Parts: sequence; C-alpha cells; structure tokens
Amino acid sequence: MKLPLIGGGRVLAPLEESAFAALMGFFFGGILLVVLGYNPILTYYYMFYGGLGSLSNVTDMLGNAAPLILTALTFAVGVRAGLFNIGAEGQVYVGAGGAIYASYYFLPAGIHLGFALVLAGAAGALMAVPTYLLKAYRGVNEVITTIMLNWTAYFGVLWVAIVLLADPARPEKTISVAPTSRFPDFLLGSVSTSALLFAIAVAAAFYVYLWLTPSGYELRSVGLNPEAARFSGINPRKPLLSALLLGGASAGLAGAVQVAGRTTPFALYTGLSNVLNYGYNGIGVALIGRNHPLGIIVAGLFFGTLQAGFSTVQLYARVPFEIIQVIEGIIIFTVAAPELYRRFRGSLKK
Amino acid sequence: MASPTKELVKTSNLTKTYPDGTQALTGVDFSVTKGEIHGLLGENGAGKTTLSKILSGILKPTSGEIYIKGNLVRMKRPSDALGLGIGMVHQHFALVRPFSAFENIVLGTDLNPTGERAKEAKASIADLAKGVGLQVTLDSPVESLALGAQQRVEILKMLYRNVDILILDEPTSSLTIKETGELFKSLLKLKEEGKCVIFITHKLREVMDFCDSITVLRQGKVTGRISKSEASPITLATMMVGRTVEFELKRSPMTPGDEVFTIDNLTLLDREGKEVVKDLSLKVRRGEIFGIAGVEGNGQTELAEAIAGIRRVAKGSIRLKGTETEGKSSSVIRRHGAGLIPEDRRQMGLILEMNLDENVILGKQRDLQFRGSLTSIAWRKVRQFTSDLMKKFEITAKGPESPARSLSGGNQQKVVVSRELSSDPDFIVAAQPTRGLDVAATEYIRKLLLDSRGGGKAVLLISAELDEILQLSDQIGVMYEGRLIGVGAAETMSRERIGLLMGGIVA
Ligand SMILES: Nc1ncnc2c1ncn2[C@@H]1O[C@H](COP(=O)(O)OP(=O)(O)O)[C@@H](O)[C@H]1O
Ligand SMILES: [Mg+2]
Repeated sequence: MKLPLIGGGRVLAPLEESAFAALMGFFFGGILLVVLGYNPILTYYYMFYGGLGSLSNVTDMLGNAAPLILTALTFAVGVRAGLFNIGAEGQVYVGAGGAIYASYYFLPAGIHLGFALVLAGAAGALMAVPTYLLKAYRGVNEVITTIMLNWTAYFGVLWVAIVLLADPARPEKTISVAPTSRFPDFLLGSVSTSALLFAIAVAAAFYVYLWLTPSGYELRSVGLNPEAARFSGINPRKPLLSALLLGGASAGLAGAVQVAGRTTPFALYTGLSNVLNYGYNGIGVALIGRNHPLGIIVAGLFFGTLQAGFSTVQLYARVPFEIIQVIEGIIIFTVAAPELYRRFRGSLKK
Repeated sequence: MASPTKELVKTSNLTKTYPDGTQALTGVDFSVTKGEIHGLLGENGAGKTTLSKILSGILKPTSGEIYIKGNLVRMKRPSDALGLGIGMVHQHFALVRPFSAFENIVLGTDLNPTGERAKEAKASIADLAKGVGLQVTLDSPVESLALGAQQRVEILKMLYRNVDILILDEPTSSLTIKETGELFKSLLKLKEEGKCVIFITHKLREVMDFCDSITVLRQGKVTGRISKSEASPITLATMMVGRTVEFELKRSPMTPGDEVFTIDNLTLLDREGKEVVKDLSLKVRRGEIFGIAGVEGNGQTELAEAIAGIRRVAKGSIRLKGTETEGKSSSVIRRHGAGLIPEDRRQMGLILEMNLDENVILGKQRDLQFRGSLTSIAWRKVRQFTSDLMKKFEITAKGPESPARSLSGGNQQKVVVSRELSSDPDFIVAAQPTRGLDVAATEYIRKLLLDSRGGGKAVLLISAELDEILQLSDQIGVMYEGRLIGVGAAETMSRERIGLLMGGIVA
C-alpha cells in the first residue's frame, strides 16, 4: 500500500496550501513593513540571508531546526492522541540538564553521546508522568498540568544548574558538555548538521510508530474517536501514556540538542536563555507541519530559517527586534491558519 | 406562478452539485402547501438531506429558485431560514453533549440558561413538550439521554423557535412505534395550527399512514408526487428504488442447537446508581435469533454495552460459551467468539476520519493475520482483507483508501457488520442494525443476520423496529424499564401484544 503521507494519502495539496499561505504571510508582513516605513525587500533579503546566506548561517539554521522538529513532534503526537500537550517547554529544560549531567561520566565518544541522549530523553519522559497520572486517574486536563510542570521544570532546572551542575570556575554557567558527548561535526564541519539528521531520524521513527505499529494505530484511533476505540477494546490509558512519554522523550532530546548539538555554548547559563521557548515554538512548527512527522521536518526548516534571520535583519536592515517578531508572527500564523481552522472546526463539530 | 398563498414552500428547477462533483439534485420542483404533512421519500443518497439543507439555509443551491410564502428568497445561512419560519431537525443530532436538554434547547437564543427568566422558559418548554407529547427530562445532560430522547430535544429546540415550516430529516429512525405515534400526534397538532411539516423518511408505512401528500426522490430527481389517496406501498416502493422490492425475507424453520450465550439475573446501574437493567436473564442458542424489542431508552443501550464489556456489571453474570465475560475488554470478548455490532455506527462502530483499511482492522489491529515484520501492521495484508470484504459484502466505495465518512450510511454499516462477521463469531449482538438505512441496505443487513442464523450462529438482535423483530426473530422479549418482559417464541407473539408490552402492559 502507499504509505499514508501528510493528510492521509496526498502530499502535494498540503504543500501547495502551505506555500500559498507562506506567500500570503510574507505579503501581509510586507505591507506592515511598508506602513511602518521599512523596506520589505531588504528586510526579507536579510531574513533569508541570516538563514541561508553563508555556510555558517546554513548550519546555524539547521541547528535551530533540530530542536524545533523534536518539540513539534511532542505536540503532534499529543494531538494525534487527542491531547493538547504543551509540556515540551519544561521537558526541554530537564532534557538539557540530563545531557549536561552525563558529562560527569567518562565514556568513549559515541557511547557518551548515546548515554547523554538516553538521560535527556528519560528526563523529558519522566517529566510527563505526572500529567499522565493526573489525567488518567483524576481526569485533570493536560493543559493545566503541563503549564504548571513547565514552571516547575524551569525553577527546578535553574536550581540544579546553579547548585549541582555549576562550573566551579564560572559560576554563571554549568559545566560544559564533554566533547565526547557532543554531536559529531563530520558534516559541513558543524555539530548542528548531525543534530539535524538525528532530529529527522526521530521524526521518521515517530512516523513509523504512528502509521506502522498497532500501538500507534491505537493512539490515532483514540485521538480521532475515543468511543469507537473503547468499543473496539482499546484501553484509552495506554495511548495516553505512549503519547505523553514519547512526546516527553522527544522534547528531552531537544534539550540535549540545545546543549550538545549547537555551535555554542555547550552549557546552560543562569536564566536558561539558550533553551527557552523551543517548546512553545514547537507548537507552531507542529501546526505548520500539519501534525505530521514528515510535514514537521519541512516546517522545522522553515521556522528555523525565519528565526536565524533575526539578528541579521536587526543588524543590516535596521528593523527593530519587536517589529521583526511581529512580522514573523504574522507569517507563522498564516501558515498555521489552515490547520488551526481544521482543528477548530473539528472540535466544533464534536 | 401558481397561487402563491397556498404554497408555503416551492422550489423550481433546483440543482445542487457538491464541490467534489457529486450531482445531488437535478431539476427538482418541489412544493408544500399550508397545513399539510408532506412526506419526502427516497432511499439513502437520493438527495433528501441535501434538499432539506437547502431549504433550511445550510447549503446554497447551484442553480434554481426557492419561493417561501410566494416570495423568491435567497438564504445565506440557517438564521435566514429561521427568520422565514423554517427550521430543520437533523438526521445526525447537533447537540452539545455535556449540556442539559434545557441548555441545548435555549442555546443560540438570547435567553441566559442560568438567568432570571430561565425558570419561566423552562416551564414553558415543559408545557410545550407536554402539549406536543415529547417528554424529556430537561435537566439531564444530553449525553446521558438515549438517542430517542436526544431526538425529542432536537425537535423541541425547533418548536421553541416558533418555526411554521418544520423539516424533520428521518426523525423516526431513532424513535420507536410508541414514540413515533406520539410524534405524529404532535405533528398533527402542529398541522391543525396551520403549520407545515416536511417529513423525510424512507419508511413506506409512515408516509402511507401520516402524510397528506408525498414527493419521491430517486438519485437527485423527483420521480413522483402523489397524494395520500393515490399512494400504495407498491407504487411508492417502485418510485423509490426503480424496481420491485421483495418485502418478505424468508426465515426457514430451524431447530436451535446448544446454548451459546447466557445472561443470568443481570443488573446494571447508571452513573447515579439507578438500576437501568434489572434482574435480566436470557439464553441464545445456535441457529436462533433472539429479538429484544422495546422503546429505546429502556436499558437496551446499557445491556449492549455490558455485553460488549464496556459497562460494569453490578449483579448477575454474562457467559459466552460457558466463560464469564465480565471484566474482560471487548477485544478479549471478540476473540472469544463474539461479533459486536454497536447501535451507533458513526460514533462507536467506525472512525470516520480513517480510511476503510484502518476501519476494518479496528479491534483486530494486533491480530496475527495482519502482523508484518517485527510487530508492525502489514498494510498490504490489510488491503487484501479490505478488498475481499468489499467484494463479499458488496460495499460500495471509491476504494479501500476512502475515508469511512465518505460512505453512505448503508455502506458504513456494511463495513461494521462485515468486520464483525469476518472473524466467524459464534455469537453476534446486533444493536439497531438497520437504523437509518435505506430499503436495499436494510434488506441486505437483515439477510446477513438470517444467513448467520442459518450458519448455526447465535444472534441477539436489539431493535426498536418492530417489523425487524417480527421478521427475523425466533424468540422475542420486550425491554421495559430495564426488565425483559413477555419472553416467548415468535409464533406466540402478535404485533399487538408486543406493542402493548412495549408500553409496559403485560396482557
Ligand atoms: N458534503 C457532501 N459532499 C459531497 N457529496 C455529498 C455531500 N453530502 C451528500 N453528498 C452526496 O449527495 C448525494 C445525496 O445525499 P443526501 O442528500 O445525504 O441523501 P439522502 O439524505 O437522501 O440520503 C449522495 O450521493 C451523497 O453521497
Ligand atoms: Mg439523509
């Protein structure tokens, strides 16, 4: 059988739709820029230059896409199971913490990275357990628990970073991730390229899980029609647990990528600035990618490119940071809009 | 234009082509006069729903005109139609499930359901309900109501909005004889008030009994418009399906075999701890159809759920081939030899967004026959299985990749039934198996049940359709207020006696 691609069988239509929506977004953003007195062509030029203009810009952009793909998978697997899981944010923090903690061990290269990834994924998954327990046994909505857990994770990891993982020589940061547990830089001389390949592999694994395994099928069934799933004998708690644990692990891995798969800084700083917002941005990426692993890869690269353009636009086109954020928001919103519409309409019908 | 005052609704040359190219209506001239109950008859897919959605402002016609009370109108949305006094009750309910019946009825009006005037409104709705004989408990959440009661909420919702043209899309498919009778009584009252009812159905008996005039649709075209006095079942059926229909299925005599399925002193509770099934016992043997008749909402739904393993048993036991099934999941019960056909195929039987391949393995996703390398699902094997089922059970669909939503009701039900029969079960529970299906599909599903009986299976048929019970069953019992009453061999049960039992009268 043909593998079910985005939207169940047709890959071209959603791509066309997204491309059109993106053009619309750039158009509206451009109008706003003109109104505000900036040159839209120059702005967009630098936006893309920042992402694609030079080899290091490209690798940086790819590095940005990798954690976004992973956190988008968290949200997407939740949606597929009928959840609105926004816990990726906090799971990224604990994942990053786990990956750094691995550097206290001395292991050969390769194995050491594997160990760090396992710790990061496990930490992220563990962070999802309370959400599961509260939802499965107390019926507490996952939105509430994941928001609370995000804050818990923030302050928890902050404390761990300052107290347990602190660099004795530089107390404002944690110890650096050991070179043996960093992503390898065999492609284009950057750790980010292998981090991206890793994220793509995880996305592919999610795809296989969701569409080729009975357990993934059960997860999707519960997400689409919990009553029919129950009547067929599926215990709804199992897919709930899978979606939350797999999602947590993926977000934890995103945290690992942020400290072991980016050019700099290979550590966490007080304030956790280099791991903030990846969870929330992942929601946008998931929506742009239609909550489909393959769509998410494309969407992650798109989002990564936009984000990488930030600093260059500020620098060269002299557009203030806030306005760039607004423009970016417009573009992302228009691209996500069709999917948002479909989701919202769907929930209205039920 | 003919005298505009008499014709409350009139369409001229109405055509509807759906965006996907489906030609649902072609040149439809349709009209209803003041103070009549007008039957709109046709098989599933004939275009009845499409026509009524156009009349109620939900869909726009591709071409053609609509006249309401003599005036040419262009309705853009349902509120336009409501403004003109046209209201529609949908075939598939549009209720907010966690809301109470009362909240659903006033939803969308400017009444605040917790405000000052709520009490009065509730009282007036209760009056209205009583006046037209549509009893509902206004404070219960809609999801806790049986389908029949949900239907009544829908009708009340429209009556509350004071419509004078009421369109009912297959309203009786979830009502029973008694309820249908009551519904018609209230419709007759509305008629006396000069209102007009457009009554959609595919049941000949109903149009013959209650409608003043009848329009028949077939494949999007009007194939006839006749008054009650001219109508006969044969002419109507022929207009509807374009060929002569077999009205009686043959139930050949059979000697039942050993007992396969047993319920002993079963008691079930609802969420509030009220007994919804009381001390119920029955036995089903091989080669036998046990028919449970009864007005819906008398515990049938709960009984079927308990049998399927998705409702806790408070007291008593359910045994399949001697093994207790209590506490087992429905997949285990299926594997032990049960085929479970749920009463609500769209909600419980199918996942409408999924395609046929995915739907035919629902509940069988871990079966060895579909196992690929490692523990994956071998979709190639599934595809073969789907194609076989489609061929064997005459399922009409674009292909195995079509989403279940795109199939007609009859074909959706064939998917469910074929899936359940494909594992060659010893015991089949069929709850409301032909509800909402057209004549041909109904005949087909009933034939499948009879064939299963002929193949030595034990069948438990739960149906609100008295004809169906009488046509198929060897043993008949009636559910009334959670009890199974008047159990007896089919030969000893007359239509009248069952009708009385359904009303709780043990003659
Ligand atoms: N939204 C839709 N898009 C495409 N085709 C549709 C849609 N709704 C109904 N149809 C098709 O239009 C025809 C008439 O359908 P419908 O009006 O629902 O018939 P009925 O109510 O008589 O069963 C059928 O062939 C059906 O498949
Ligand atoms: Mg219809």
